[in-house]
Amino acid sequence: MENINKILDRIKKDAIRPTPRWLFTLKNAAIWTGFLMAVLLGALAFSVILLAVQQTDFTITSHLSHTKLELFLGLLPIIWLVLLLFFLAIAIASIRSSWRGYKFSILRLLTICVFMSISLGTLFFIAGGSQRLENAFALNVLTYESIEERKIQVWSNPAEGYLSGKIIGVNDQTLILEDFNKDHWEVNYSKAFIAPIIILEPTEKVKIIGKMSGDKKFNAEEIRPWGGPENRNGLNRFRQAN
Amino acid sequence: MTSLPRGHDLSYVCIGIKPNKNVLTFMIISQEICNQFSDKEIILKSLEDIDFFSCLYQRYETKLTFYIHRISKVTDEEAEDILQEVFIKVWKSLHAIDPALKLSSWLYRVVHNEVVSRWRKNKWSRDNPTIAISDDMLQSLADDMELKKPTEEVINQALLKISEKYRKVLVLKYFEELSYEEISDILKMPEGTVATRLNRAKQSLKSEIGKIILV
Repeated sequence: MENINKILDRIKKDAIRPTPRWLFTLKNAAIWTGFLMAVLLGALAFSVILLAVQQTDFTITSHLSHTKLELFLGLLPIIWLVLLLFFLAIAIASIRSSWRGYKFSILRLLTICVFMSISLGTLFFIAGGSQRLENAFALNVLTYESIEERKIQVWSNPAEGYLSGKIIGVNDQTLILEDFNKDHWEVNYSKAFIAPIIILEPTEKVKIIGKMSGDKKFNAEEIRPWGGPENRNGLNRFRQAN
Repeated sequence: MTSLPRGHDLSYVCIGIKPNKNVLTFMIISQEICNQFSDKEIILKSLEDIDFFSCLYQRYETKLTFYIHRISKVTDEEAEDILQEVFIKVWKSLHAIDPALKLSSWLYRVVHNEVVSRWRKNKWSRDNPTIAISDDMLQSLADDMELKKPTEEVINQALLKISEKYRKVLVLKYFEELSYEEISDILKMPEGTVATRLNRAKQSLKSEIGKIILV
């Protein structure tokens, strides 16, 4: 009994009051907001990863002299993967610190958070938001190397058999291509497989697999569309034609 | 003990009141009155009138003191000091009590956290807490581990040899006699983890008991 006297005495003497309910409500709201924000940001990161995967030609790995692992790591959107993992960790930590969060195992929480991020991220990707987000990053973050820039690096290796750029002229057997360094190439496409959605005409952006045959000369084996939202003329025309 | 009316509430039974505005006064509600209320009702009443807070203390003092002694080697004074801190924290967080949680689980959690926090600050020794074990507890432990009933001394020796995380769940399960759900709420871990940890703890304890008996 003596101890409770001391406790009550201390509470009264120090005027200790119960922390107001609104503070706990605010804390709880902050935790849930943090969780939702983290899931949302994780979803955005996932949508850009989807975009990167969509933009990557994994089949070219067999053509390159680099090892597949090297190429895969080179094309991997590391920054977005790190962001996704970071936001997933934040989401899990937030929900774990909520009132009943400890009732769920980490694995269960991870599954829930991954599922939410993947679903929302896929919707964002389908709506075209990932491309806009990626572009915004590329424009505003100086050190950020965009998916497009990475793609250009991979497809600007004529010595390795990879060439890309904009068609500026087309003849019967050859086309003139301006690569991303503004160099002009004479490309022989007489024996090349041309993807059906491509219409060989000026302004069309393409990527070409083949072999260098001389100074600024290239023999094409396969011509593919460059891809990406700004280069869908060919795809649209292909759809209209069919 | 004096029985005095207080406002319109005639149910108050107070100890040592000095109704003087200049002196800090409080009344300790008698156990008889406290027993009429559930934990939740006491919390609500405490928010209106601090004197009802004494009911919580009376109700849980013994249990929590035993628990402190079971997880930490402290003197009675030190245990009292921990309880004081715990009840001050409980008072501050009265509005934060999760209605879905049993109050006892929450109190155990606050005690546990306070003890751990003192271990961390090295203010208290975490070594060699000896546990007073009743015959029923020993029997329940022996039955669950399919052992011949060990002595209190053997159990205490074995408990000291197993890992801290295992000792915690064993103490809560067998000596505090709490359910998996309550242990989950106290240690803030999923019930599945409690079950797994308890199984491992029993295996570890059984192995240590075996070694001690062999020696």
